[in-house]
Amino acid sequence: MGREQWKAALRHPVGAVAAALLVALALLAVVAPMLWGDAAEETDPAALSQGSTSEHLLGTDALGRDILLRVLVATRYSLGLALLATAICVVIGVLLGVLPAVLGRRAGRLVTAAVNLAVAFPGLLLALFFAVIFGVGARGAVLAIGLAGAPSFARLVQTNVAAVAGRDYVAAARVAGVGRFRLIARHLLPNIGEPLVVNATVLAGGALLAFAGLSFLGLGVQPPAYDWGRLLGEGLDRIYINPAAALAPGVAVVVAGLAFTLLGESIAQVVGVRAVRRRRVPAAEPAPLVAAEPAAAAVLAADDLRVGFPAPGGGWTHPVDGVGLTVRRGETVGIVGESGSGKSLTALAVAQLVPDAAQVTAGRLEVAGVAPLGRADAEVRELLGTKVAMVFQDPMTSFNPSMRVGRQLAEVTRVHERQGKRAALARAVDRLRTVRVPAPERRAHQYPHEFSGGMRQRAMIAMGLMSTPELIIADEPTTALDVTVQRQVLRLLKDVQAETGAAVVLISHDIAVVAQLCERVVVMYAGRVVEELPVDRLGAAAHPYTRALLASVPDLATDRDRPLATIPGRPPDPSDRPEGCAFAPRCEFADDACRMRPSLSAVAADQRAACWHPRTRPLDLTLDAVTGGQA
Amino acid sequence: MRELSFEGTTVRFGTGRSALTAVDGVDLVVPQGQVVGLVGESGSGKSTLAKAAVGLAPTSGGEIRLDGVPLRSRRDRRKLQLVFQDPHASLDPRMTIGESIAEALPGRRRHAARSAEVARLLELVGLDPARARSLPSGMSGGQRQRVALARALAAEPEVVLADEITSALDVSVQGSVLNLVRDLQRELGLTILFISHNLSVVRYVSDVIAVMYLGRIVEAGPADAVLSAPKHPYTRTLLDAAPAFGVALDDPVPADDARLDTEAPSPHDPPQGCRFHRRCPIGPLTRPERTICAETDPQPGAADRPHRAACHFAAEILEVPAR
Repeated sequence: MGREQWKAALRHPVGAVAAALLVALALLAVVAPMLWGDAAEETDPAALSQGSTSEHLLGTDALGRDILLRVLVATRYSLGLALLATAICVVIGVLLGVLPAVLGRRAGRLVTAAVNLAVAFPGLLLALFFAVIFGVGARGAVLAIGLAGAPSFARLVQTNVAAVAGRDYVAAARVAGVGRFRLIARHLLPNIGEPLVVNATVLAGGALLAFAGLSFLGLGVQPPAYDWGRLLGEGLDRIYINPAAALAPGVAVVVAGLAFTLLGESIAQVVGVRAVRRRRVPAAEPAPLVAAEPAAAAVLAADDLRVGFPAPGGGWTHPVDGVGLTVRRGETVGIVGESGSGKSLTALAVAQLVPDAAQVTAGRLEVAGVAPLGRADAEVRELLGTKVAMVFQDPMTSFNPSMRVGRQLAEVTRVHERQGKRAALARAVDRLRTVRVPAPERRAHQYPHEFSGGMRQRAMIAMGLMSTPELIIADEPTTALDVTVQRQVLRLLKDVQAETGAAVVLISHDIAVVAQLCERVVVMYAGRVVEELPVDRLGAAAHPYTRALLASVPDLATDRDRPLATIPGRPPDPSDRPEGCAFAPRCEFADDACRMRPSLSAVAADQRAACWHPRTRPLDLTLDAVTGGQA
Repeated sequence: MRELSFEGTTVRFGTGRSALTAVDGVDLVVPQGQVVGLVGESGSGKSTLAKAAVGLAPTSGGEIRLDGVPLRSRRDRRKLQLVFQDPHASLDPRMTIGESIAEALPGRRRHAARSAEVARLLELVGLDPARARSLPSGMSGGQRQRVALARALAAEPEVVLADEITSALDVSVQGSVLNLVRDLQRELGLTILFISHNLSVVRYVSDVIAVMYLGRIVEAGPADAVLSAPKHPYTRTLLDAAPAFGVALDDPVPADDARLDTEAPSPHDPPQGCRFHRRCPIGPLTRPERTICAETDPQPGAADRPHRAACHFAAEILEVPAR
């Protein structure tokens, strides 16, 4: 946990109060015995078992000792014992917890089993059991409470260690020859520190209470020593004569216990809730006026499409920053770009599937003749549900794992077209056959996990075909698939497109994949379209970024004796894009003109590039005479 | 740098009905100073083979040797270094990259000597040595993969195993990492087992290419020969499926035959005979007279065929037309 997070935990009001209380208690524990230690032992035969007087604010006990002073002085002993018990618990817990990682597989399992058994016993029962074994007294109680808490802490450590031990960097360290103990000290423990700290803090509060309980029962601290629990026990006898004698140590126990527990909780919140932390949502940007002139030929028409997210420092960042995109009926268009270029978010914005925090604005957005912006969600779903189909990268997460594939497909029709169950299922089987899923009747009754990746992707496409979509958006549909399966899925998309006449938008990082399927390619960089061109003009790409993308990917004809073309630097962060052309800092042709943002302008028929210095020399894609594109 | 060889290496996971032979009797030699590219689909066992070599997966048969000496202890295995696929997961988020690299340095060294070595390694992989003190969280994927390479080299390995090291990277970054691998190999004469599902990537860096299918090597040979004249129909299928410019999806390839299975068989229950026969464009599903494919395992005798191809009809496969 970073320094920032500690600070955040303390800024939290509950955390701040708890921390302040703990600091006060710690001070008291150090100072009180020094100042009042002797006074608290002083017996006053003249004032035995008194109530509250001006001399003894909370009264005196049976030997005439001042109760207020005794409660204050007992802070050190009470806290000390609780912390000692916690330390025992944490040390044994960590040892037991990491032991399986150190021992071999078999011995490790034995330890795990033993810990699991121990966890099954109630803690208090264990504590009483140990208290009997170790004898009545402070030492016995410390050991009892420490040992009783150890199994559950050990299990916490085990679970966390097991999670971290599976990470690649631990495997990498093992391959590098890092020894077991160093592995634990350097890689495992630091990476599970957060939950352990939180739990140890809460545990300390629990130990304090448990200790008070044992002492109260007479199993803990023995006279003449005293802690809060014993003071409470002594005071309780005379609660009707002098209630303060019992209440004061009680309050002390509660306050200290609360302080520990609350601090633990507020740390936990800061550690675990990072993502959920509420940001103040900045005022929505004024949406530009929607001037819609329906374009009959286009199934998708977007102008100046922007998707904004609230920025951490206030204001908005725009991963998609003014995209213009037109897809004609029946056309296949590929959107190419690297991660962070905004290509997927553009697709989600078109399908009205952006995350809740995002805000979509556009000069114009029309999907299948519907302008979805500014309409209610339900209305948009009603209008677009049957007209737009989405295919995602990971079909495993886009299916409900606990529902049979056929039923999930059928649901689409049942919701949108209110068909009967049987008819809908029959259509699902028919669509599965359309996408060439073998034995569709049997397959429809299977669960998604019984499908291979390629089959799931087919089923996803079949789901899109349950109604008659006008637009199919496929977002990296083949990235998770093997090449042979990729080919099948791409061919399927092509067939589906030919049969249904739907337009297809294929989003991919792989320009070669896009080139195979699409008629037109749209290249995105840093949230904007930098070039759009027909596939057969890829060899005449004008934007340096498009050319670099084409040149940097090796294919089966790449000259192996020459280095691959690379693009220096990295794409700009959406919150920190350069003025002017976003690609300029990485572009070998950039000059002063590039400080102004170029807009898409025609460089040839059907080809537009957003560049001040468009390249004109053709690229030779098949023979790979690409040299970075000197024109 | 020395020669790494797998001899009948077998890796099994699980027991009973859930048992799975991920790597099944693999014979493969990675000659000194060469790059052997290992291609195959997901689930073919190529990553498991690399993990078995460095001791991250248990072998249940066969031998892995370095210069003929079987690797047994952890110390032996340190001479093999694995670079992982995802550079975001393979660096400890709490250690500076300098510490991560220094950790892999063998032997005890003085502090100054360690820092100097770390700086040298960072420079070797094209990173500013001043970055030794930064945490991986501030770095891009490509930079992290460079750090991972530096860490592997820090251990002074005899052989580097690179497991899909570019597949988590953006295409523009992939190029620079591939260039780096190639340059390092030429400069230092590294022996590398380069694993990838991407045939074009493997082709670019490798001298020898081995193709893996369902836990077995089905073809292995000099890169140019394997690519220009594949002897196993699976290699041919992979080549045909690789996307390339100027090749339309509609141009039919033999593997598009509708009679063939479109899915890979379950590794829990590999088919009888040739493991590829239900997807094979020249197998029994297209040529019913070839019953041998469904009955007899072509693996025995593969050593005598061209490219050690595990195919009864290895000699028949035609050359792939030049693209």
